[in-house]
Amino acid sequence: MDVTQYLEIFLDETKEHLQSLSDQFMILEQEPENMDTINEIFRSAHTLKGMAGTMGYKRMQALTHDMENVFSEVRNNTIKVDSKMVDLLFQVLDALEEYTENIQNTTEEGTNDNEHLIKALKDYLEGNSGDSATVAPKAPAPEAAPQTVTDAPQTDADPAKEKWRDIKLGDTENTVLAEAVKQGKKCYGISVYVQESCILKAARAFLVFKALEEIGEIIVSVPSAQDIEDERFDFDFSMILISETDAETVKKAVLNVSEIESAYVGELEIEVPQVKEEVQVVQIEETVKADAAAQGAVAKQDKKPAGKPIVNRTVRVDIEKLDSLMNLVSELIIAKNSLVSTSTQEGMLTNAVFNEQMEYLEGVTTNLHESVMKVRMVPIESVVQKFPKMIRDLSKKLNKKMTLYMSGEETELDRTVVDEIGDPLMHLLRNSADHGLESAQVRKERGKPEMGSIFLDAYQEGNNVIIEVRDDGNGIDVEAVKAKAIARGAITEEQAENMSDKDIIGLLFLPSFSTAKQVTDVSGRGVGLDVVKSKIESLSGEVDVRTKLGEGSTFIIRLPLTLAIIQALMVEVGGEKYAISLGSIQTLEDVDPNEIEHVQAKEVINLRGTVIPLIRLNEVLDNESTKSPDENLLVIIVKKGDKLAGLVVDEVMGQQEIVIKSLGKYINKQKIISGATILGDGEIALILDTNALL
Amino acid sequence: MNEIREQYETTQFIVVKYGDEQYGVDIKYVDNIVRMQRITRVPKVQSYIKGVINLRGEVIPVISLRLKMGLEEDVITKATRIIIIKLESNECIGVLVDEVKEVVTLEHAMIEKVAYDSKDPRANFVSGVGKERDGLISLLDIPGTFAEKEA
Repeated sequence: MDVTQYLEIFLDETKEHLQSLSDQFMILEQEPENMDTINEIFRSAHTLKGMAGTMGYKRMQALTHDMENVFSEVRNNTIKVDSKMVDLLFQVLDALEEYTENIQNTTEEGTNDNEHLIKALKDYLEGNSGDSATVAPKAPAPEAAPQTVTDAPQTDADPAKEKWRDIKLGDTENTVLAEAVKQGKKCYGISVYVQESCILKAARAFLVFKALEEIGEIIVSVPSAQDIEDERFDFDFSMILISETDAETVKKAVLNVSEIESAYVGELEIEVPQVKEEVQVVQIEETVKADAAAQGAVAKQDKKPAGKPIVNRTVRVDIEKLDSLMNLVSELIIAKNSLVSTSTQEGMLTNAVFNEQMEYLEGVTTNLHESVMKVRMVPIESVVQKFPKMIRDLSKKLNKKMTLYMSGEETELDRTVVDEIGDPLMHLLRNSADHGLESAQVRKERGKPEMGSIFLDAYQEGNNVIIEVRDDGNGIDVEAVKAKAIARGAITEEQAENMSDKDIIGLLFLPSFSTAKQVTDVSGRGVGLDVVKSKIESLSGEVDVRTKLGEGSTFIIRLPLTLAIIQALMVEVGGEKYAISLGSIQTLEDVDPNEIEHVQAKEVINLRGTVIPLIRLNEVLDNESTKSPDENLLVIIVKKGDKLAGLVVDEVMGQQEIVIKSLGKYINKQKIISGATILGDGEIALILDTNALL
Repeated sequence: MNEIREQYETTQFIVVKYGDEQYGVDIKYVDNIVRMQRITRVPKVQSYIKGVINLRGEVIPVISLRLKMGLEEDVITKATRIIIIKLESNECIGVLVDEVKEVVTLEHAMIEKVAYDSKDPRANFVSGVGKERDGLISLLDIPGTFAEKEA
């Protein structure tokens, strides 16, 4: 079978399942007996096995098969989860990820059989299964909901075949069951297997139903009665039955129907607490629910969300289609700008109807732009969800105790930014883990909890998204950085004297600067913060550091919500038009040339008590100012982090929504121009990156 | 056999002029030829980049091959054109030329390869010389000339 056309879907879904496995393993490590998690893992493993099998990836199939087997046993409480097993599971996960990566790159899964993993998994199976003496006692129920419903002891049970344990019970079913128990009836779970040679499966199923209805009441069946009638089932079906008879009679009734291969009957024993009647019902409802959850239903415990994502009404769209849609919107905005500018020239704006329609058009294009932008926004979750596992690995590797706390994973950013943000974030986290956090011993001496904490917080602030990476470690040792910088010849001692702590910390972002006293596998090879900084800056963002020696440090990344279309202030310098992003502008000032003072041979102004350096844009941009020196200066106060500067321009033309176009690869990367935009009259204006000027 | 067939294979070139010299641009790289238009200067870039133009809503850099090859600065006349070159990476670049003359079809037999000459900087931009009734045409090595170079 040619399956290449399904490859993309396969990869997408496999990645989703692997991620889910990774998340669930993390939970499992904390709560080895969480049945929700175990069931979720079992399902994911099962699905992965199926998909890998369909696609013909034998090795992947074998590995997931063994993992599934182990979890099948875990589910039946014959194997207990321990930390060694979790470690093994993470290794299996790494192996599966490797397969997936190979498949993505070459469509082949590679030749690594991972025999040791398969063997280790098999050891778990053989060491425990088949030996009734080591069968673990029934797992206590998850802490959140005490379990009062227990399964009847099984005599001839083959747990994997008792599919009725997977039946999901709704509120109504639970009420009915509770009511039945009160009346002294018994509840049975039944799984029926029809012989594979059977031709009229639906008819046999019908007979089974009929036989059972004679001795009791069928509450629910899987698949549904309708599906069974339409023969939409394989060779088995399960149901919950309320009856007054015993299990053996029920089983006999089923097996009396011909062409039935086997039937598995188990009793749901429900303990009815002896309390007031009203309360009783509610309680039973809850306990039945808890049981259902423990048995593998997707019923959620209110404590934590189940691993399965809630299904939304969504469409998968190729990102290229979105890009072209965005381009069309951009062109529409350019055309609209052009209409506005010509109509102003032609004096059309005096025409009330035209004016009105024009404003309407502006409203529509702005809304359209916003909608398209929203479509392109994705939560950063897809990027950050791999970090908990990474920190766990690092914790083992570095032999430090640490936990990652994340918040704001749902914060949304433009798709292009999200794709790029992973590496810098990973780097900052590694940095915190390796350089930031002290070893457990040092932490103890300093009176800190042995377990180090790293925080990753994301949130939106105005038109920006802020991502903070914080740790409660050692903080940055400014003196050490200074000494290192001098030793490296990056600065002289005299320079160092005059530098503020902030400036010194800024040195960390210079290329090949690492303060780690020893180079480790994790970080400290000198390709570090400078890469983070340049990456963030290429996304029009900025990085800031706050640190306190002994208490920890925080790296703050500030990113614009969107990259494609921004609000900008149009200015003129030496007859040329430039755009400055409105986001970085604080105020506009009219400055008398006499107010200019000089500090260290640089021009500054004193603006309401703040000394602000002046930058004459015509000098930066190599052209002639059209203004005479004695005229008042037009100064745009811009901000970067907490730094301010005044940009001197000749003319301010007004605010405009502009579409950012790249200058292309051919023009050498130079920092002060971040792109270009096409104005209403077809002219090009360059976009000034004020961050590069400060 | 192959060699013989290759001899008769043809390539079309757009012949452009810099002063009196004729240069050929392989037609497969040419996306468009536009009249001279307003070029927006980009500060702090390589000297041979004249700036950027707006070509149907796209911002495209325009370079002066004259400056790049070490000739005198372009003199803008009525005949000046911008040839839009489309590279394999789908990136477009505009190139200023003094004049666009014609399109010629050259058999491969009529093209002579030139050896790399480190003394002549201009030779770096030429991949061969085509012989034609109006004289010789220096055939520009487009991928080589516009390869992305980290300066």
